[in-house]
Amino acid sequence: MLTAEQLKEVLKENVINLRFHARGGQGGVTASNLCVEAFYGYGVCQPMFGAERMGSPTESYVRLSANDDLVRTNEQVYAPHVVAVLDPSLLGEIDVTAGLAKGGWLIVNTVLNQEEIQGVVGRKDINVGTIDATRIALDVLGRNITNTIILGGIIRVMPIFSTDALADAIMRRFKGEVAAKNIAAIKQAIEETCVYDIGLDPDFTIDTKVPWQQVFLGLPGYKEVDKAGVWYCDEDVIEIGSGQVNTGSWGEYDMIWDEEKCTDCAQCWFICPDFAIIREKGEDGLWHMKGIDQFHCKSCQNCLEVCPVDAISKKLKQGPASCAVPEDQEGGS
Amino acid sequence: MSIEPMRIFFKEIKEPITTTMIGNYAVAGGVTQTDPDVICAFPITPQTQSVEGLSDVVHQGRLKAAFVNVESELAAISFSTAACAAGARSFTATASQGYLLMTEALPMAVGWRLPLTMMISARAFNSPNLSIWNSWEFTETNSEMGWNCIVSENVQETYDAAILSVMISEDSLFPTMFVHDGFIISHSVQKLTLIPDEAVRQMTPKKPRHTIDPSKPGTWGGIVTPSYFMEGRKNLDEAKKPVLNQMREVFSRFKKFTGREYDLIETYNLDNSSKTAFCTMGSMCGNIISWMLKNKDIGLIKIRAFRPFPHEELRKIIEEHNIEKLIILEKSDSLNGMLPPFSMSIATALYPLGTLFRSFIVGLGGRDVTRDEFDVAKKKMALVSDMNGRLYQYLGVRETKGNIYEVDY
Repeated sequence: MLTAEQLKEVLKENVINLRFHARGGQGGVTASNLCVEAFYGYGVCQPMFGAERMGSPTESYVRLSANDDLVRTNEQVYAPHVVAVLDPSLLGEIDVTAGLAKGGWLIVNTVLNQEEIQGVVGRKDINVGTIDATRIALDVLGRNITNTIILGGIIRVMPIFSTDALADAIMRRFKGEVAAKNIAAIKQAIEETCVYDIGLDPDFTIDTKVPWQQVFLGLPGYKEVDKAGVWYCDEDVIEIGSGQVNTGSWGEYDMIWDEEKCTDCAQCWFICPDFAIIREKGEDGLWHMKGIDQFHCKSCQNCLEVCPVDAISKKLKQGPASCAVPEDQEGGS
Repeated sequence: MSIEPMRIFFKEIKEPITTTMIGNYAVAGGVTQTDPDVICAFPITPQTQSVEGLSDVVHQGRLKAAFVNVESELAAISFSTAACAAGARSFTATASQGYLLMTEALPMAVGWRLPLTMMISARAFNSPNLSIWNSWEFTETNSEMGWNCIVSENVQETYDAAILSVMISEDSLFPTMFVHDGFIISHSVQKLTLIPDEAVRQMTPKKPRHTIDPSKPGTWGGIVTPSYFMEGRKNLDEAKKPVLNQMREVFSRFKKFTGREYDLIETYNLDNSSKTAFCTMGSMCGNIISWMLKNKDIGLIKIRAFRPFPHEELRKIIEEHNIEKLIILEKSDSLNGMLPPFSMSIATALYPLGTLFRSFIVGLGGRDVTRDEFDVAKKKMALVSDMNGRLYQYLGVRETKGNIYEVDY
């Protein structure tokens, strides 16, 4: 682990990159903004460019250095030295350590221990910090917002900015009582972060970006895309098409269908915005409801509202996707 | 909204404040400080948060402006033009397809010599697929229709451009658009220093000008026969000639107030050993400047004033520094075998000099432009020794699943 003084030396001629993984509404972008505001030198924060929806996995990036020219680039961040994961449910869904430098730090809001985390992400060459941010958030803030708390974890393992500087940034951004609570939560987080140091620090002078990774080799080339740019439904050309996005992980609830009560009236099928109501044609030549496609259902609950016989109910998911609350618009369209 | 992004602009800014902001809100702040009378824009996609930020400031009471939502970008530009003709300081904003929808009404503000300002968050238009990400739609087909156009590299510059545009518009009496790269600047949080309100007021005084005036009735935009139209156009052409000089004067006045130095064209490391320079504009300049820390044998020419295009200044720079080769990077294409629009402007300027150049089309639809592109462009340019053959190529595009077009990978 590097001390604040050592990091200051590193930052004179190098860039430190951070990446935050969160879900839409959890404040990942706000966390990365606060890094830039708390840092004494030059910094840039970029959200993952695109439209962001509540509950969908989000990423945001931070580039910090004392050298203005080094952070002047508007390139995206490919090789983070620190990755912070605000929501443990992302661990199974996203490759959170992609590009993370050897000896870099992975900070996760989780109750798992550090060795378990190394196993989940399949990396032995990184340091791990864990913190039960959800509990601290509920205790101190009274609601499950972990974005500022995770910053406490970062200060603990890589003090690129001081607690006081972060507190100042928070006071500029949030109003009185909210700011005070967040600062208290951060102080508790610094205390409670569990550190699993493998004794290796990242080499900040090495550029670990994979050449041409921004070109996404493996997807179809210009010679292979269909005429007029059409994505034909029966082909699997667009491997990142929306049908393959696990929108099911965005929601707060599992929707449950009761076959006994269902009258096959199909009102839920009409109202579902995600085609997540599964129907099949029976031997009688009629369409019958067969269940709910949990991979795509993001629990908007329209079906529950519209069902005339209460054949659909909901159950709160285990895990923190349920903590999403609206905040500053991120991404946008 | 749990956070009020425009809060810093709710009160009088008394001294320079360093803060962090995304490009869109920074522009909204800059526009707020120039005290517009009318803000009119289409509020839905592809609109940006700049207008949202302005509605915040108007709603809060800090800015006494008419905030007008309209049903389309065509309506927005028409309304803004009319408001400006009536004497109001007016601002509008758009992006992508919205800009194309405006095209029909863009020439009128020019013809009427109105100091309208518009922000453009540069984004792709939709063909063949929909994209909300960065490309340079504003350069296509010379669709600026006679507007002035300045392009910004980062959040500080785009904030400053919001104020500079008002100064340029009102000095030249031509409408001015200021452009930043969509998402890359519009949504990045960067540090910037805000200018005190009093300084902005001094830089952008509301001066008397020609307006629609009931006491002096006249027909604006009435029909003319072939016996008259051409004189109107030539009159505009003459009026455009001093604009670049007026821009320069604006930049030097701005420097007196803020210390920040701008020019029509800015140059970096042009006296280099390879006598080669990149030539581009917008956010990519930042990428190149960072990359140049390790590539000191190459220079950069950054175009800030895209329209009017500073031909003579560019020629002078190239002659003074003995630049032999130019690598032009741009985020638009032409599809018709000609050079893309930005390169075409450069090529026109270079014609008398015979400087060697090649144009590289990069970063369309939000694809990141990185050190990989710069390395390859530099290597390719080193092999160029004449102006035969194709003068442009796409760079950073997949040819097949496993192959990048014209790049040995």
